[in-house]
Amino acid sequence: MQFFQYGNEGYKSVLDPRTKLLLLIVINVVIIGTGFTGTDFLLRIVCAAIPLILFLIIRRTRTALLYGLVCLAMFFGEAVLIPHTRGVLNLLIVITLGPFSRILVGYAFAYYMMCSTTVSEFVTAMKRMHVPDQISIPLSVMFRFFPTLAEESRAIRDAMRLRGIRLRGKNGGVMKQIEYEVVPLMMSTLRIGDELSAASLTKGLNAGKPRTHICHVKMELWDWALVLLSLGFLFYMLVLR
Amino acid sequence: MIKLQNVSFHYKNTDAFGKLQKTRGIDDLTLTVEKGAFVVLAGDSGCGKTTVTRLINGLVPHYYDGELSGTVSVCGLDVRSSGIGDLAPHVGSVFQNPRSQFFNVDTTSELAFASENLCTPPDEIRKNIRRVAQEMHMDELMDRSIFALSGGEKQKVACASVAVSEPEIMVLDEPSSNLDAAGIEELARVLALWKAKGKTVVVAEHRLYYLTGLADRLLLLRDGKLVEEIPGEQLRSMDNAQAEARGLRSFTPIAMPEPEAPSAEKDALVCEGLDFHYKHSDKGIHIPYLHIPRGKITAIVGKNGAGKSTFARVLCGLEKKAKGTVRFGGREWKSKQRPDLCYMIMQDVNHQLFTDSVLEEVMLSVPETVPEGEREALARQVLDQLDLLPLADIHPMALSGGQKQRVAIAGGVVTGNPVLLFDEPTSGLDYKHMRQVAALLRKLRDDGKTVLVITHDTELVREIADCVVVFSKETT
Repeated sequence: MQFFQYGNEGYKSVLDPRTKLLLLIVINVVIIGTGFTGTDFLLRIVCAAIPLILFLIIRRTRTALLYGLVCLAMFFGEAVLIPHTRGVLNLLIVITLGPFSRILVGYAFAYYMMCSTTVSEFVTAMKRMHVPDQISIPLSVMFRFFPTLAEESRAIRDAMRLRGIRLRGKNGGVMKQIEYEVVPLMMSTLRIGDELSAASLTKGLNAGKPRTHICHVKMELWDWALVLLSLGFLFYMLVLR
Repeated sequence: MIKLQNVSFHYKNTDAFGKLQKTRGIDDLTLTVEKGAFVVLAGDSGCGKTTVTRLINGLVPHYYDGELSGTVSVCGLDVRSSGIGDLAPHVGSVFQNPRSQFFNVDTTSELAFASENLCTPPDEIRKNIRRVAQEMHMDELMDRSIFALSGGEKQKVACASVAVSEPEIMVLDEPSSNLDAAGIEELARVLALWKAKGKTVVVAEHRLYYLTGLADRLLLLRDGKLVEEIPGEQLRSMDNAQAEARGLRSFTPIAMPEPEAPSAEKDALVCEGLDFHYKHSDKGIHIPYLHIPRGKITAIVGKNGAGKSTFARVLCGLEKKAKGTVRFGGREWKSKQRPDLCYMIMQDVNHQLFTDSVLEEVMLSVPETVPEGEREALARQVLDQLDLLPLADIHPMALSGGQKQRVAIAGGVVTGNPVLLFDEPTSGLDYKHMRQVAALLRKLRDDGKTVLVITHDTELVREIADCVVVFSKETT
């Protein structure tokens, strides 16, 4: 898992986290709410292209390629296959493609967001949006804990596999399995949490003064352009349509 | 700079039986550390050296609950009346566990973290980060994910992250516990830099050899009291026998013993053509031939990243896709069967304790071939062997670190597996406990087990190893 840290090390994000949040909402509204004709279709294509371009900018070429291909297949399916098929086959295609194509773009954008934003950028952005500390600090700790949880549970699962044969026998069962995994996970995360709080306090986390930030969170030209575009889309979706 | 006057501290906590109790941290301790001094605190686990570091950064009494008497002053601040936050600008702390001392997930944010909390202007923080990165030669560690770093690199980042805000005092609590020899060397370089810059440095540590060259004084604590003060000059002229007499780990570095050519026995553990590589990573092993004698203790040593842990995982059957053959006792063991051949006691034993009592924990590992009526008797017998019988009904998580390790070992012994593998069994242990683990390993060997020990601890290797196998990037 590489969320909330730069996947491509050394690379800096170009968009402000606030722009990303707005785009996430707008993209989902457009993709879920539009059809396949006229302006609707144009909007869909623009929205679907945004994650593609962004993946290329952060040099995730493989992700971009995969996403692009799946997208093309989706559009092809919805625009060509569905009108030209009938009966069970048509139903099958509608059921499989319909929901998937509607979440795909939003999901891809959320993925981009997570691998191009660091925790400190996110926290700084929340601060700029006047989100109180009581929300932003627990949130940032939560993000910090995802990779830790993954690391710990990997180690625990290894330990279980060492005794795997025994667990499947008399002592087996799903509930037991869960207990065996969750109890040590809870214990070790509690301990890590405890030590982490101690370490953070010695670095003045609760010194009580407003913190400063070194990360670069600023609305640039690109951000404003995308914000304008988003607002235009929203206007179309809510008023013109 | 730091003044402790008749200080006593008792932690409030609960014992293994759930009773409220007070544990002595330190007892009527008086000491002074002058500005710019480099002081090493040594002594057994539980001698109070960690408590002293916590008094300096304010975690005692403000984070860890207990009873404090006497006066502690740090940089002119009374620790009792000022909070941890007030001490933060003056004291930088480095802790033992690299997994739990980073608030951020990327290195640069972590370096900035303390300064950001102290409201330093962003431009100044950036300048300080650049300076520290240069001083510590760690430009290649900037903007990295902390989860992708090695233990040594993490500890370097931990040191750098306190250095950025330029506190006058640095306290370190067993910073070398999880490091290999190369990591310790790096750490020693950072400490030398701080000493040269005139910082006041206080290190609580078991491993002493890397500190003897730097220390102005070594303070030996026992049962919460200061029992001996050794000036740096004298310390540097002392030998390891004198360390041992004081129950301390060696003062001078101990060289790894030379590996011996393995004698050709028939029923040894033989690995041939072991080959395994992780996906999306250049990590892995390639072992054409490895011979490990039966019924002996074999130490597996080598730098971080040489493939020791991967080898352990392959040997225990955790990596099913590994190629090659493993032979032992006249037959071949396939990946799937290897959990019955080799049992691993992990470095962090907390990961392998699952149940709510010591007895149940051991029962869980009893092989299914043992008849129902004899299972508990067998488990109790193994517990008795390891002096754990009085603790049979206690929750494993309520035990001390050493006891937990023994429970994990009991879980391995009861399986009846002929091979037991230990991953860093003595990391962070003092001399006394290291000796205890060594004695236990010897006992397992004398009971007929083939014992493999992955370790960086040269003192342990000297103590127990019948054979030594060196892993390196070239040979694996």
